[in-house]
Amino acid sequence: MLLKLEGIYKWVNSGGRRIFLLKDIDLLVKEGEFISIMGPSGSGKSTLLNVIGMIDGFNEGTYKFLNESVHNLKERQRAKLYKEYIGFVFQSYNLIDNLTVYENIETPLLYKKIKSSERKALVADMLDRFNIVGKKDLFPVQLSGGQQQLVGIARALISRPKLILADEPTGNLNSKQSQEIMELFKELNEEGVTIIQATHSETNASYGQRIIQLLDGSRNDYNL
Amino acid sequence: MIKNYIKIAWRNLLKNKGFTAINIVGLSLGIGCFIVIAMFVSDELSYDQYHENAERIYRINSDIQFGGTDLSMAVSADPMGETLKNDYPEVEEYMRFYASGGSKLIKKGSEYINERLVAHADSTLFNVFTLPAIVGNTKTALNEPNTVVISETAAIRYFGSAEKAIGEFLDTDDNTRTLYEVTAVIEDMPRNSHFRYDFFFSMDNVQYGFGNYLSHNFHTYVLLRSGTDYKEFNKNFTAVIDKYILPQAAQFMQIESMEDFEKAGNSLEYSLFPMTDIHLRSSRGVELSANGNIQYVYIFSAAALFILILACINFMNLTTARSSGRAKEVGIRKVLGTEKKSLIWQFLTESTLISILALIIGILFVRLTLGWFNDMSGKEMIMSALLTPNFIIFLFIFPFIIGAFAGLYPAFFMSSFKPITVLKGKLSTGHKKDTLRNFLVVFQFATSIILIVGTVVIYKQLNHIQSSELGFSKEQVLVVNNSGLPLETRQSLKDEIVQLTGVESASFGGFLPVSDSSRSDTTFSTETVMTESNAFNMQYWRVDYDYLENMDMEMLDGRFFSREFGSDSTAIVINETAARLAGFDNNAVGKNLYGSDGNGNRTEYTVIGVVKNFNYESLKQNVGALSMRLGNNSWVTAYRFNTNDIAGLVDIIENKYKAVAPGMPFDYSFLDESFDNMYRQEQRIGSVAITFAFLAIIIACLGLLGLATYIAEQRTKEIGVRKVLGASVTNIVRMLSTDFVKLVLLAFLIATPIAWWFMNTWLQDFAFRIDLSWWIFAGTGMISLIVALITLSFQAIRAAITNPVKSLRTE
Repeated sequence: MLLKLEGIYKWVNSGGRRIFLLKDIDLLVKEGEFISIMGPSGSGKSTLLNVIGMIDGFNEGTYKFLNESVHNLKERQRAKLYKEYIGFVFQSYNLIDNLTVYENIETPLLYKKIKSSERKALVADMLDRFNIVGKKDLFPVQLSGGQQQLVGIARALISRPKLILADEPTGNLNSKQSQEIMELFKELNEEGVTIIQATHSETNASYGQRIIQLLDGSRNDYNL
Repeated sequence: MIKNYIKIAWRNLLKNKGFTAINIVGLSLGIGCFIVIAMFVSDELSYDQYHENAERIYRINSDIQFGGTDLSMAVSADPMGETLKNDYPEVEEYMRFYASGGSKLIKKGSEYINERLVAHADSTLFNVFTLPAIVGNTKTALNEPNTVVISETAAIRYFGSAEKAIGEFLDTDDNTRTLYEVTAVIEDMPRNSHFRYDFFFSMDNVQYGFGNYLSHNFHTYVLLRSGTDYKEFNKNFTAVIDKYILPQAAQFMQIESMEDFEKAGNSLEYSLFPMTDIHLRSSRGVELSANGNIQYVYIFSAAALFILILACINFMNLTTARSSGRAKEVGIRKVLGTEKKSLIWQFLTESTLISILALIIGILFVRLTLGWFNDMSGKEMIMSALLTPNFIIFLFIFPFIIGAFAGLYPAFFMSSFKPITVLKGKLSTGHKKDTLRNFLVVFQFATSIILIVGTVVIYKQLNHIQSSELGFSKEQVLVVNNSGLPLETRQSLKDEIVQLTGVESASFGGFLPVSDSSRSDTTFSTETVMTESNAFNMQYWRVDYDYLENMDMEMLDGRFFSREFGSDSTAIVINETAARLAGFDNNAVGKNLYGSDGNGNRTEYTVIGVVKNFNYESLKQNVGALSMRLGNNSWVTAYRFNTNDIAGLVDIIENKYKAVAPGMPFDYSFLDESFDNMYRQEQRIGSVAITFAFLAIIIACLGLLGLATYIAEQRTKEIGVRKVLGASVTNIVRMLSTDFVKLVLLAFLIATPIAWWFMNTWLQDFAFRIDLSWWIFAGTGMISLIVALITLSFQAIRAAITNPVKSLRTE
């Protein structure tokens, strides 16, 4: 078991009323799974991913990651945990504008205090793997959307995470680029990386082994 | 339209109260500072301008180099004025002040008052200067001996009113007792005069060997006819020297011609100096009052201007910093069809509104701090000085200038946002624009660093002066003026006071090692016949047996005067400089020196000792030649005391004094205070500089805060991404601060040589000065860096602890 959510509630107070973003979510994820989360805009897909990724908190419930209770952890320990095991891929890529492709991919390693020589080797591997060696000195604005997302994924993978969280990873891409990215995810999953993606697209969702439906913050399916 | 602009601008300002407050505080500090300095400068420039003939009045300056001493004096010989008037038609009138002595005792009822604003003046005073009379005819008021013209204040003090004063007599201690008839009462002299007296006594009552071209004791002013070029006129002095001065000098020493005199390294020069320049550009020996300094006027003006610019820069920084918050508004307005021009006006209206508010608060600021600034700068400025037409016009135009200056860049910057990018929520961050902002930060910090270094150096130098080895001990010496005491009681009173507990020793003699005490210098020679080569000028002090011990001075060789030796009447003690000038090397004791005794006779003196050099003038000057003789100078008694109850001791001494001399004012001072007074101007500059430095660094930090806000806002998303990628708060803070640290370091590199140059120039004024050690600069750099980091960390930490979900959600 990689992670387990039980009875997760998240809400905000607005004008004296409580608005639920997540309502009583239970979710069990095993290592090596590929899960797609579906649902209309505002249904809580991103919020759920953020909670799983530990960059957002929740108000009620329990969350265990690798048998550790996340809700009991301090900020620092939590950060250590997600640094170690989780990689993020965003819809709008979120590359850093003033860093080159190479530097963007290298960034997570800087925060893990990995030696310079080792960093070089790791980044070179990654560039190689995604076939973007020739683009390593370009800035994000000089790349196409698909290429940018490749860099985004490379960056997410560089620290060898167990889990990749992808929030609409193909939302800004055309269908051909989308397909390439999805194939890549599938490949990664076959290598043993757990992937959870949020998506609007039925086609993309079908790459997953199971699909979780969200509506107004509640699960709307009958899977476990 | 304008009304609409103002309405919207007002609403915007109210909406962002914090931002508006920072902007207004920064700007009003700058404006307040600028106004105070503007008042200060205009006050300094207004000196002596009120005389009708101000532009035609000149003072005769004397520059004499003789026997190793170099004298630049504001005084000249007594016959000089009249000679010029008789020989040169360009001179319409002349007048002289004789202010020697400095004060007079004047009787009011049974009490004597010690009046300090007194001088003897020629009857032509009122032909040269404009001093309007309230009662009496000033044209003839001082024609007769025993006449006096007084100010309205003095008239009220002694007689109740100006009218009652006319025809009355003032009872003074001149020549033990002299009565003067009040012949006219004038309006009080304006404060901005380089001389200010309440009493002008007739010149005929001055006891002086008139007709002496070689003694310089009179402040002489001439009124030139219109159209005379004074520089051209100065050439006439060569003829005056040849015709009048050389013949007189030849009686005292062997002088063949001016050439020989100059060949021996001597010189004698006279010149006219414009009266209106005296206050700011003259600091000679024996000025009538402590003058200002044009350099300080320049420095202050520059500092005020810089602080104002710093404040404007802040405004620009803060406004552009907030621009992304306004970007959407700009986009929407543009889509709705607003022209760029009217957007610019909108933003300019806002900046002008802010500067008007800042001006009002700035004036309030001035109102609150003016008294404090007056104390600090020694001025007596009042708020109503702002009501002159020039100032009023200036104050009306000022906010518009500031508004335009500070608002133009943000206005153009913001109005040029492209609606599409802006509405999509993607503000192009464009790193190229950072150059200007970076430049502004460097500029602000360089200015602050220069000001801080200046402050530190000034304080160190003042400290150095206060603690340097003076050659005497200035601490715990009470100086009592004996002029009200009958001569025969002075010795017994002194003997009585020395017996008191807490009093260690006492000595007579007004010749003290602080610059506001008696001075007398004479020419000495090492041989009987004085020639240009064996003569030198030297201070000639009359002291008593106890002087050396009482002042805590040290003998290097020989002995000081002693009651055990009977033959000390022709004995003389000289200081190191005198021994060097006389060419005695290390065996001065026993050598002879020749000086005149005041009646033109040559007297032989024998050197009995050499006293270690002590600083008797300001430490700006090297120690000059000095000699001491036994003499009866009992005008002042100096008591060295050793007690904590100083007030109690002064009380006891005062009571004893009053018992001997009922009705006489008890006039005393402390030696260390008189010493400090010599550096009053430097201390003032020091306090003003520290204020400026403080303001500058506050303003610079406000600017930095603004810029940090801006950068953090620009990089919100990047920060979010980095956090998700695993960056810690420390990582982020370091990332945001590094760029600024580089800027501050650059500012430091630029500021250091400039500050070094300025302060090195300033220190050249002092003969005894500190070294500009590296740590002053390094320390200042560190301080500004630390202050900058503290300022930055507020923003950086805030940005770093923001939950990345918030910044990443907007997609």
